[in-house]
Amino acid sequence: MADTMNHIERAVAALGDKPVDRLTTYPLAMGVCRRLVGDGKMTYRDWVSDPKKFASAFIEGQKHFDFDFAIGLMDLSVAAGDMGSVVRMDDQNTPFVTDPSLKTVEDYEKLTVPDVKKGRSHVLVEGTGLFVQALGSQVITAAFLEGPLLSLTQAASAEKVFMDMYNNRSAVHKALKTITEYNGDMVKAMGAVKPAGLVWDYLWGSYSCLGDAEYDEFEGKYAAGLNELTGKEGMAMCIHNCADLPHLDTQIKKMKPAIYSMAYYPLIPGSPSPKETIEKGFADNCLIGGQIDPQGFVRWSQEKMQKTTMNLVQEVKTALCARGLHSRYCIASGCEVPPAVTTRLENIKECVDTVKKYGQVTC
Amino acid sequence: MQAQDILAGLEKAVITGNKADSIKFAKESLDAGVKALDAIDKGLVKGMTIVGDKYAKHEYFLPQVLLAANALYGGLDILLPHIPKEDASKKVIGVIGVVEGDVHDIGKNIVKTMLTAAGLDMHDFGKDVPTENFVNAVKNEKASLIAMSTLMTPTMDGMKAVVDGLIENGDRMKVKIIIGGAPTSQPFADDIGADWHAINAQEAVKKVKGAM
Repeated sequence: MADTMNHIERAVAALGDKPVDRLTTYPLAMGVCRRLVGDGKMTYRDWVSDPKKFASAFIEGQKHFDFDFAIGLMDLSVAAGDMGSVVRMDDQNTPFVTDPSLKTVEDYEKLTVPDVKKGRSHVLVEGTGLFVQALGSQVITAAFLEGPLLSLTQAASAEKVFMDMYNNRSAVHKALKTITEYNGDMVKAMGAVKPAGLVWDYLWGSYSCLGDAEYDEFEGKYAAGLNELTGKEGMAMCIHNCADLPHLDTQIKKMKPAIYSMAYYPLIPGSPSPKETIEKGFADNCLIGGQIDPQGFVRWSQEKMQKTTMNLVQEVKTALCARGLHSRYCIASGCEVPPAVTTRLENIKECVDTVKKYGQVTC
Repeated sequence: MQAQDILAGLEKAVITGNKADSIKFAKESLDAGVKALDAIDKGLVKGMTIVGDKYAKHEYFLPQVLLAANALYGGLDILLPHIPKEDASKKVIGVIGVVEGDVHDIGKNIVKTMLTAAGLDMHDFGKDVPTENFVNAVKNEKASLIAMSTLMTPTMDGMKAVVDGLIENGDRMKVKIIIGGAPTSQPFADDIGADWHAINAQEAVKKVKGAM
């Protein structure tokens, strides 16, 4: 069935749970879209180091796949790298920290706020601005930032931070305050380039990692101020959390994001399925994004991607109707579509096209 | 102090993640003539098993598990040199590591701790481990178990490279292979020719102990 709404009309309607011509869709294809630029040989290193190249992947991705959103995820080591950690950049692999910069308690205390006008923070802001400029009239755009605890665990290693939560509590808080200040600067810089929203990666809100008390103490209280600042800077506050067993009560009901992007782990007991997520009221006031297995974009045939997407669409439509909702679910991948060279681009297209064909909601 | 109190002290030190107490009671156990193996099994491991159960029930979370593991290793460092060689040589040797190109090792460290607590002699290769280190583990480490993890998609194929390397050098049938990490699954393990996939440390212990 042909679309009768444009992307922005559809996404705005879905955010307000108004009737739509079809469900929204956005497989989280960021880094992988660098393969659509030029001769297709852009390395990851180039992509994350040059604002124009970063933006070009989103622009080409939109031309090729016709998404409903564009969200500027780069990788999770941007802040850590600008805090002095060594980041390894392979040609075809997501950059990651190989040598964290914060090794001692004193390092937490001496940490200074990175300058957002330098390093990859600058590339991220500039690159986001460029794709927002190019795509902002076509789709809902959003910037993407790592939450303070995620940045700290990247810069000091998760194991160290988790143990220091008990052994060196005040030093951990000192570092988190510094990182929150950096994040505040990033929010203001992102606000200036005018994306419609800003997505926070609050990854550690997972019952496999932290309980409510630790999460509230070591991220919740810092996130509250950043979430508020996001709104003040004119961006809709959104959250991405692809961990298993996410803290949905805290991150959806308490933090009240406009969009919440999440993954589904069928092997892990208690991992909420799309149906359960809707049934339990988490889509009542928030557009939920998920929950196709990102691995499918690498390993499945096109036929299997179509069938899986059709099944998810049907599951979501049934659950939305049963809950009295119209459209508050975006068919997406639970985590980033693997940016590997082996990812099947045709599966991304298949996912989008299947939603276009079968995503009409008639309760 | 009675042997029973020392063992209880070791158990509690692990449960509360108190490394200093773990070291203190480990030394006291040796002074009191408690067999090192008993101090490990009836003190440290008993405590770690309780920690594992509490984690599975979401009563404990990663910080408590990591502190408990730290306490366990503190005690083990004192006690392991006192295990008679003939007992030590009966242990199944396993190697564990994060595959090449990936440095996310928190899950690997927990699995290593739980397998150690289950009685295996685990050799930790660390993170970003070159394929050949796993491939040569049977020859170089006398390993009967290879445990590999990755949290990232692009590095999953490194697991297949290890299995292929073991087939090529003739060691595949001498070793069991278990894999884990968020993007992995049993179908993936089947695809690449590994023996098992585990979704968490408890399941890894169950599968390994059940078969070895």
